[in-house]
Amino acid sequence: MKLAAGAFLAGATSRLLPASIPFRYFGAAVAYHLLAWIALLPDAGASPRFTGGLGWRLAALHLVTLGVLVMSAMGASLQLLPIATRQPVRFKRAPAAIWWLYTPGVGAVALGMGTGAALLLVAGATAVAVALLAYAALIARNLLGAKGMPAVTAHCWVALASLLVTLVTALSLACTYLGAPLLERGTALALHVAFAPYGFMGMLVLGLSYILIPMFALSAGPDVRNALLSCAFAVAALLLAAAAALGVVPPLARSIAIALAGVAVALHLLLMRTALRTGMRRGLGRSFRLVRMAWALLVASLIVALGVALGAPMGGIATLFGLLVIVGWLLSFLLGILQRIVPFLGAMHAARGRKPAPTPSALTAARPLAVHFWCHVAALALLALAILTDGARLAVAAALVGATGAAAFGVFFAGVIRRMRRPPPPSQARVAQIA
Amino acid sequence: MSGPAKADPGPADGSRGAQAARWVDADGVHIDVRGLAAPAPLVAILALVATIRDATAVIVHHERDPKMLYPELAEIGWKAERIDAPPGEVRLKLTAVAAES
Ligand code: HEM
Repeated sequence: MKLAAGAFLAGATSRLLPASIPFRYFGAAVAYHLLAWIALLPDAGASPRFTGGLGWRLAALHLVTLGVLVMSAMGASLQLLPIATRQPVRFKRAPAAIWWLYTPGVGAVALGMGTGAALLLVAGATAVAVALLAYAALIARNLLGAKGMPAVTAHCWVALASLLVTLVTALSLACTYLGAPLLERGTALALHVAFAPYGFMGMLVLGLSYILIPMFALSAGPDVRNALLSCAFAVAALLLAAAAALGVVPPLARSIAIALAGVAVALHLLLMRTALRTGMRRGLGRSFRLVRMAWALLVASLIVALGVALGAPMGGIATLFGLLVIVGWLLSFLLGILQRIVPFLGAMHAARGRKPAPTPSALTAARPLAVHFWCHVAALALLALAILTDGARLAVAAALVGATGAAAFGVFFAGVIRRMRRPPPPSQARVAQIA
Repeated sequence: MSGPAKADPGPADGSRGAQAARWVDADGVHIDVRGLAAPAPLVAILALVATIRDATAVIVHHERDPKMLYPELAEIGWKAERIDAPPGEVRLKLTAVAAES
């Protein structure tokens, strides 16, 4: 048997989820990204210093968290974890079914929040919760059989446990607006704000980084002991934050929890720096500029969180914290990784039949990504300025610039799909000839 | 350079240190990445490929289909062909496309 890289990949794809699975998650994330920036416009006249409650700004926030962050993390993990953990894909139809439940669920949550329709919000939240539990079951099944990657699996288990806290508090908060909360609103919000971004998304991102960053930088895997130590500090931070939210320890414990999270992040970032410094691939380009910026803003989010915990007298500090953790860290990171993963998976999948596989770089259009990068950075800076100066017009400008960036990202994504379907240029056709 | 005719597949939990065994035979440079956790096999194979300047082939001993390797190989102008292997092993022969044309 003699096959070239592209054609051999075709044989390999039979054990991969079909391309339509990860790409439908990524496609929905791309669309919700654009809608998230647009959702900032209807309440544009109000103060950018968001103080909670239903409305279009809460909808925009959840279009980012559920629509972009969780959506793309689901697509990537459903595709990559079976490969990384050397597990077969067992329930082939489940990922598509989950998508069909989750995607309209996110739309209903956002519409319910935006229009103040509590019943729609609760219905959407229930659909999202059921879909995420099914996703968690798939990932848990996978992790149970994982071999030789304790740091990654430890992080993923913590993320799954945090997902449960996220869902209970989310349903409780949604039910608050029906007049039937499961937990007191302040407690639920404090738990939700710690466990959704840091516990669920954060631990998933930190854990998957131990595979993805060395894979893109082409470096040795990170030191497992330090990665597990980082995980242990993060768990301690989350448990202490939970105890503080439940009022079983004094409020000072919040500051200690943030300090523990700081140690976890410092250890993680040292491992990431080693991976990038020792990697064979140096020029990681614009995508990694986003990733590096995200890491810096993760640290900034913890510093601002400390300010919030200590009651720093600064207007809009709680909103600034939300911006840094959700847009600054998580969104920048996910978009940086997504622009590498989408063409990479595209190349893995494009070699159907005996067509040659296009390379990831041949699938990537650089110009839309450049537009997206500058718009993302500018929108983030404008939003931060809007919060600091309480300037509503700056927030409108941020929304418009952010939407332009999101549209450019959509052009990049559509370009990958178009190029995946296109016949290869003659220079590449040679690579995949069947000998 | 010469090495074990049959590489140690590592402990039963499937994990092994970050080291891949390498040796040279008549058909090329061999690398055994069995038992390494992701992404170590990918990195070890590409590190070896990067050192090759002539038409020498690289023979990879793997326990599974290295799906993530193919886009990386295509990117640097190399190709993979599957060759005969004992049951439970995936064996690949990697060669530079330019070296053949
Ligand atoms: C089923 C999914 C979810 C639902 C139904 C939901 C619902 C809610 C609701 C109703 C609030 C408003 C609380 C209030 O002010 O009364 C809220 C706040 C918040 N949510 Fe979620 N949430 C979900 C998932 C997430 C996720 C996955 C994240 C992050 C990754 C997240 C991040 C936040 C943040 C940061 C706030 C605080 C906003 C603020 O007041 O500053 N949520 N959520």
